[in-house]
Amino acid sequence: MTVSAHVSSRSLGQGASVIELKPRARQDFTSSLGMMVFLASWAMMFSTLFFAYAFLRARAVSWPPPDVPALPVALPALNTLVLLASSFTFQRGIGSRRRPLRRVLPGEGLARSRRRQLAPWVLATFALGFLFLGLQLVVWRGVWASGLTHQTGIYGGIFYGFTVLHALHVVAGLLVLLWVFVRTLRLDYTEHNVVNVRLCAMFWHFVDVVWVLMFVTLYLL
Amino acid sequence: MDLQPIHPAPTGFFRNYIWSTDHKVIAKQFVWAGLLFLLFGGILAMAIRWQWAYPYEPIPLIGKAVLPRSGGVITPASYQSIFTMHGLIMIFFAITPLMIGAFGNFCIPLMIGARDMAFPLLNALSFWTFVSSQCLVIASFFVQLGTAAAGWTTYAPLSTNVGTPGWGQTLVVMAIFVTGVATIMGSVNYVTTVIRLRAPGMTYMRMPLTVWGLWLTAILNVLFVPVLGSAGLLLLMDRMFGTQFFITGAAGGKGDPVLFQHLFWIFGHPEVYILILPAWGFVSDLVSFFARKPAYWYKGSVLAMTAVTVLSAVVYGHHMFVTGMNPLLGQGFMLLTLIISVPAEILFLNWLHTIWKGSIRLTSPMLFALGTVFVFGLGGLTGIFLGTISTDLYLHDTMFVVGHFHFTMAAAAFLGSFGALYFWFPKMFGRQMNETLAKAHFWPSLIFITLVFGGQLVAGYAGHQRRLFDPYQYTFLQHLHPLNKFTSISAFILGLSQLIFIYNFFSSVFAGKKAEQNPWKVGTLEWETTSPPPHHNYDVIPTVRRGPHEYANPEAIKLLGRDWLTQTEELPEAAAPKQALPVAGA
Repeated sequence: MTVSAHVSSRSLGQGASVIELKPRARQDFTSSLGMMVFLASWAMMFSTLFFAYAFLRARAVSWPPPDVPALPVALPALNTLVLLASSFTFQRGIGSRRRPLRRVLPGEGLARSRRRQLAPWVLATFALGFLFLGLQLVVWRGVWASGLTHQTGIYGGIFYGFTVLHALHVVAGLLVLLWVFVRTLRLDYTEHNVVNVRLCAMFWHFVDVVWVLMFVTLYLL
Repeated sequence: MDLQPIHPAPTGFFRNYIWSTDHKVIAKQFVWAGLLFLLFGGILAMAIRWQWAYPYEPIPLIGKAVLPRSGGVITPASYQSIFTMHGLIMIFFAITPLMIGAFGNFCIPLMIGARDMAFPLLNALSFWTFVSSQCLVIASFFVQLGTAAAGWTTYAPLSTNVGTPGWGQTLVVMAIFVTGVATIMGSVNYVTTVIRLRAPGMTYMRMPLTVWGLWLTAILNVLFVPVLGSAGLLLLMDRMFGTQFFITGAAGGKGDPVLFQHLFWIFGHPEVYILILPAWGFVSDLVSFFARKPAYWYKGSVLAMTAVTVLSAVVYGHHMFVTGMNPLLGQGFMLLTLIISVPAEILFLNWLHTIWKGSIRLTSPMLFALGTVFVFGLGGLTGIFLGTISTDLYLHDTMFVVGHFHFTMAAAAFLGSFGALYFWFPKMFGRQMNETLAKAHFWPSLIFITLVFGGQLVAGYAGHQRRLFDPYQYTFLQHLHPLNKFTSISAFILGLSQLIFIYNFFSSVFAGKKAEQNPWKVGTLEWETTSPPPHHNYDVIPTVRRGPHEYANPEAIKLLGRDWLTQTEELPEAAAPKQALPVAGA
């Protein structure tokens, strides 16, 4: 069934009819709404972690505990910038509402123009996300070598537990990015499903925001 | 158009019954999965009652088979597992799938006039994720040291490796995490579907109260199940990787077992409303349908349910009055808790007002709805004593608490679900249930469920602590043995009377009388399509013209000769072309 028409009407019998505007846009909004509800749920999950952190820290005699080695700040800060940059590249790829990616060159279909404009940015996002994980590994190794393990009281537990949970989300995000990249190359994105890329971007931005909060709480405060 | 296209019905066994994306099939899958585990959890409950009536005596019939090493006698270790798994199975693997999985899936799209959920694939995924969590639960019974034994609340440090070593507890915590993921997937669907796929004219204030109840439940699920998920993850880290979030006394900052209680109840208090809000919805609709009167103060019911939903998020501290909480904080929680009784009371009075002077039809769904009103009333009244600090200090951790939450979460949810099942059964399976057997199921269920949980209230008031393996080793509880025996025998009769339902259910599913389209003569949308509905629910998406409770409308009686109106039909007069009114001065 075609959905290209932006305005369509349907009969409801007895001469009544309902005119619905842009069914495509409506369906896209439904998808986005579903994703937002999902992300709200995810946000509650991470909020719980931060609540646990605040609870334990409020009850601690001193924070960080006196006998634990200090965490590095410079490298994680750089890593935060890397992840932020990846959000910018992804957003640059899908374009904004004000500046949508609709520049179709003569003789080039919509899917091909999308491939030309989206693929490099998705690849860049993937590379930055991968770099983030690599740098994260360096941070973990350094902290581990300085004597803080996941069993060093709750300080170690919180540091490794929270960052690993976040890293798992980054891994999931990278797999999704890979899938988006392959589908872009295969010219799979039509008018009907290109919203999926936007949903993936929402998830990626979410993981990014969570990291910024985590960086501030774990390393700076 | 497009927004909700008609997809061809799937062909083949696999796409029809196993991996189906049709919300009606998924609902039925949840019915089966939920009823199976309801039976399982019920048998565990019988074992607990056996222990309190006849301690150290072998369980008759099945005892030797399930507890071979002790010759059918319940040992302290197996007793701990039994009451733990009874609670967890009932809450997460029986009531949740039955009430939210089955009726949420079945009712929401049909009652708002949609062809399916907003995300049908996610829906199927949700069901199979749920099944995998059930598999984890079953697997936990077969590992060394047995299944979970830390109580349904899974309090640390009992639930850490210190209290419950072995894989059983770990698998069950994993199962809860996985079932939480399934619940969230389903709830994302419900929330989005209600917001986006209501039929034209189906405004929020025309939605059946069932949909309101299920929708608010879904919102609570989306926001608070992840809290439990996080707590479960932290607990799993403690159990599997040796972190110390919930273990106190470690170097490098102390963990805190009380943290687990906070996380658990931040989820847990909304959860108890998650389990009752759908039942409130069912009851609010059913009393109106079968009293043949509009629901009294519909908007008030909606507001009350919404208020309870909001308040449920800020009262969790009343579960923790005795954890050394700051008394000022405790008072705040007490105040908020007692405020909840105001909207709950509004809802309750609305039900009574709806029944008042109605032409009541005592059909089986109506009987179950009235039973729900009764047991929920008892549960709500006893809750006031537990929400008040001064009385809670005495009653905390006694059987009074057990009786209270069983009246609200178990009895009301149980009777409410059965009312809903009897009501929507014709639409679900296209067949009619045997009404006589349904009533024969109702009366013993109501009477004995009241006696069982009433007995618990009385025992608790006399000081009977909950979860005691052998209460009678305490002299001050020995005189409660006859009472406990009476309660247990009531429980056994309650259990046996469920056989009537099992027989009725199976014989009706496979050989019941074919149901007509609208056997109960009610006006909500789902009764305007065939029983069972076609794959796409509605040939034409209906246009809604009025609210869900149009009964005893004098105009309808005059014009149509019946006492009810569907949500879509036009009155004959209104359909006639209007005459142009003379305009003054024209």
